Amino acid sequence: MRIIIPDICALGLSFEIGGFRLLFAIIATYMWFMTTLFSKEYMSHAGKKGRYYFFLAITYVATTALFLSGDLYTTFIFFEIMSVASYVCVIHDENELTLRAGGVYLAVAVIGGLVSLMGIFLLHHMFGTLTFEELKPLCEALLKSGDADAIRTLFIAGGCILFGYGAKAGMFPLHIWLPMAHPVAPAPASALLSGIITKTGIFGLLVLSVYVFPGNGQWGFIIVMLGVVTMLLGGILAIFSVDIKRTLACSSMSQLGMIIVGIGMMDLLGEENTLAARGTVMHMVNHACLKLVLFMAAGVIVMNLHKLNLNEIRGYGRKKPFLKLVFLSGSLGIAGIPFFNGYISKTLLHESIVEYIEVLSEQGSSNEALFRVIEWLFLITGAMTLAYMTKLFICVFVEKNVDADLQAEYDEGKPYCTPLTKFVLAITAFVMPVFGVLSKITIDIIGDMGQGFLGAKELEHQVNYFSLENLKGGLISILLGALIYLVFIRRVLLRNEDGREVYADIWPKKLDLLTLFYEPVIMVILPAVIGFICRCLDFALDGVILFLRQTTHKQVFKKEPIPAKFFMAHILGSLMNRISSVASFFMGEKVHRKKNYVLVLAGKKTLMDQTTKMVSASSAFSLMMFAIGIIAVVVYILVV
Amino acid sequence: MPEIRLLNVADSMNLCFRVDELGLMFALLFASMWILVAIASIEYMKHEKRRKGFYVFYALTGVILVLAAFAANFFTYYCLFEAMTLLSMPMVLNSRSHESVMAALKYLFYSMGGAFLTLFGFFLFMTKGFDLTFTAGGCIPESAEFGTLELVGAFCMVLGFATKAGMFPMHGWLPTAHPVAPAPASAVLSGVITKAGVLGIVRSIFYCVGPDRIRGTWVQYTFLVLSMTTVLMGSMMAYQEKVLKKRLAYSTVSQVSYVLFGLATLEPVGFIGAILHVIFHSLVKDTLFLTAGAVIIKARKTLVSQLDGIGRKMPITMWCFTLSSITLIGIPPTSAFISKWYLAQGALDMDIPVIRWLGVVFLLVSALLTAGYLLTVSIRAFLYGEKDESGTEKTGQEPVTDPGLLMLVPMLIMTVFSVVLGIWPMGLSLKLLEVTKILF
Repeated sequence: MRIIIPDICALGLSFEIGGFRLLFAIIATYMWFMTTLFSKEYMSHAGKKGRYYFFLAITYVATTALFLSGDLYTTFIFFEIMSVASYVCVIHDENELTLRAGGVYLAVAVIGGLVSLMGIFLLHHMFGTLTFEELKPLCEALLKSGDADAIRTLFIAGGCILFGYGAKAGMFPLHIWLPMAHPVAPAPASALLSGIITKTGIFGLLVLSVYVFPGNGQWGFIIVMLGVVTMLLGGILAIFSVDIKRTLACSSMSQLGMIIVGIGMMDLLGEENTLAARGTVMHMVNHACLKLVLFMAAGVIVMNLHKLNLNEIRGYGRKKPFLKLVFLSGSLGIAGIPFFNGYISKTLLHESIVEYIEVLSEQGSSNEALFRVIEWLFLITGAMTLAYMTKLFICVFVEKNVDADLQAEYDEGKPYCTPLTKFVLAITAFVMPVFGVLSKITIDIIGDMGQGFLGAKELEHQVNYFSLENLKGGLISILLGALIYLVFIRRVLLRNEDGREVYADIWPKKLDLLTLFYEPVIMVILPAVIGFICRCLDFALDGVILFLRQTTHKQVFKKEPIPAKFFMAHILGSLMNRISSVASFFMGEKVHRKKNYVLVLAGKKTLMDQTTKMVSASSAFSLMMFAIGIIAVVVYILVV
Repeated sequence: MPEIRLLNVADSMNLCFRVDELGLMFALLFASMWILVAIASIEYMKHEKRRKGFYVFYALTGVILVLAAFAANFFTYYCLFEAMTLLSMPMVLNSRSHESVMAALKYLFYSMGGAFLTLFGFFLFMTKGFDLTFTAGGCIPESAEFGTLELVGAFCMVLGFATKAGMFPMHGWLPTAHPVAPAPASAVLSGVITKAGVLGIVRSIFYCVGPDRIRGTWVQYTFLVLSMTTVLMGSMMAYQEKVLKKRLAYSTVSQVSYVLFGLATLEPVGFIGAILHVIFHSLVKDTLFLTAGAVIIKARKTLVSQLDGIGRKMPITMWCFTLSSITLIGIPPTSAFISKWYLAQGALDMDIPVIRWLGVVFLLVSALLTAGYLLTVSIRAFLYGEKDESGTEKTGQEPVTDPGLLMLVPMLIMTVFSVVLGIWPMGLSLKLLEVTKILF
């Protein structure tokens, strides 16, 4: 169903309802409903609730409208509204850390928005339309036409849009806001940021891949590479993190990387992309549901303890079976354990890579080895997911805190959340095993709903998720994950400090793209260079005028009598006066008592006159002597 | 179209007025802004001396501006333009301090310099025997020869009017005059009087010389490059500026050059974007200057760094500031997004190879800087500074609050319009589309 509201915002808005869009509108509504219920307790002690709920509502409307949008213009408008409104939710606590993280979030959002606007300008100018359905044939025709100039422009436009939406999707190298903004935002807002707002970025990438570059191998390759880097980096950062919400945030980045790989595979596989498309959609849905549970469970801990560091919250959940179960469900889901939802989508994504490798080996392409590596990297990322989730779970729910008093306090059995919160957690956690076990009537339907938007064909035969071949990938991941946990996390990250075992934060603080690259370039170098040029330009005409007024058009002339013998001194002196005043003006020195060069020169002149007199007198005398001497010599020669 | 002929100076020089679509639009804008700012100024001017004198010149300038919008030929426009400069100058030196007198003189000299450039173009065309009655699409006959000298004349006209619009390299008066003038005067100087320069350029390019005559010549290229440079330079200077009103003045330099860039594209879409931006920028910049004025009279703060936490004390004022800022950055669905959309499309429609996309990049980078220099103010005002409101007030000082309704209502009206016009811009765009159909 298509709804067009003409003339709003000049070009008019258009919405489409159905399939993928409806699915994500429902997911968004579900998530907002749950987080709003959760907020009731979480935000009960916070100030400015009105502001929080108001902007939460705006973000909801914008996000839903974004998923329903039928053209890039509408998408962009709601994308921007969502970015700005969600900023207010992120900075709710208004402390220094929050404001800094919020600043980065807003900066990335504004920069990303403007860059993608550039791409949208170009697309609109090329095709005269931004409606998805109309773009697809036009772009296909253009890509086939072989017009190098136009294709280059299309790639530039695509790259710009990718920049904007990729930033939202936490794609490398624009992921910087993700690990910063999530830990400081209120937990319900983190859940939404991670679960659904990042998906709006993914939505943009899907639009690009499906409608602007349908089946384009080059584009798909770029996306896959970006996705691989993102998922690996996210996984590594998550393993090193010692902050529960930061770990979850980095995990989001890693999972989004997997989704991005899936999007890239869709383009690479071209016509046969059903598996990749279904995997992508399912992982988007699964990740949204998973992050909802995990962030809310983390939120329960934060709201009781107001701490995030793993060493401080260690052992908090030992005697809290309900919270333990909820967190376990989310952990198993995201780690891709069979019979939980994450397994299914990861299997499909893995299968799509395997499928492409088969295609490559049939063609005998040299890329086969590369994609085998990517397949392994994908499995390793899955393993890392398991490793860091195990780390979180064991730390918070199994191990005892190093501080025995604190542990006793944790184990007291005080009520830690209201029944409403428990209800919300229970419902959201229930989804994972249901999706995993009853896949035929849940997640497969989601796949069916979603794949139409992605231009995938109907599935020829139902995938058996638990066949030996499919289980193999999952099992490899699990084994590797156990290995990473036992060898790396237990042996390397768990350190003995003062006789206590603590999770060490060994990731070097300096190794941060933000402080290493973005901040120096954007905040220091570019403003300094461009600012200097602009300052010069700004001063250009004023400078000329001032120069003229100091030199040729000097308005106030002091008429001093010029003594005849000091004439040269006066001319030179006043010239030097001018030069010095101009120079001191440009040097910016405030010289109040300037040297009067006329007087200086006059003094010099007097001295010089005296000396000259002496010199000339003496030289005249010596000349006289010289002449006498010569005459004497000549006479002598003549006479003798 | 009915004409009113007042005075014949010479054969082809007469004071003559006529109402056309574009003039009507500008006149409406000028008049409504003038009235709104006048209402808001009542409270502000209580804190200033020489109110009577200020309002005399304020009223006179307003009348002259509206008349200028209806001028039917170049001579009339030029006379009113000069009169406007002279009459608006006393508003700048209202405080009679040394700085304000020097700033007013600078304003006067720059404006006069610009006007003389315009006059040169005018004389040049008069000696050629062209009748410079404003005609849509250009009043110079097809058969007339148009060589380098005439191009120089056209360029001088554009550059002269651009002085008033604050285009590089003649923007110097704006950042000097604004901080010293009373806030309502800055508001109209920046929001309205600069637009008289824009109208002058529109009249000289599209109603006298004709866009076809300068399309693809060095005049267009120079005009484009200068306006692009200004767009970036103004934003960058604003970004590094610490005095709030001066920051807003540099922002005007940048934003009015968006308009000039749109005109310089000589494309219908760019033209629509330019005129839309004239309207939206007027609304936004007047609001911003009024909020700056409210901060000055209520909190006595002029530096951006002093504004920490002021949003908690003056919430309505700073909300107007924030919404107007968002509008000026061009975040949809607010109005400046629409005008920037048209401007960018107009730029891409051009045939000039590099400038067509470089211009768009400049617009976007400048929008980013706009976010940098305006949103930081809002963020400081709302989120920084001490949290508890009690106990911070020093004894013997008035508490810092929002200004009275007389000042708030005009600000709110303008803010609402600047947002709403973005959501429903079609009335304006369609009107402008009709205008462009006659012009191009």
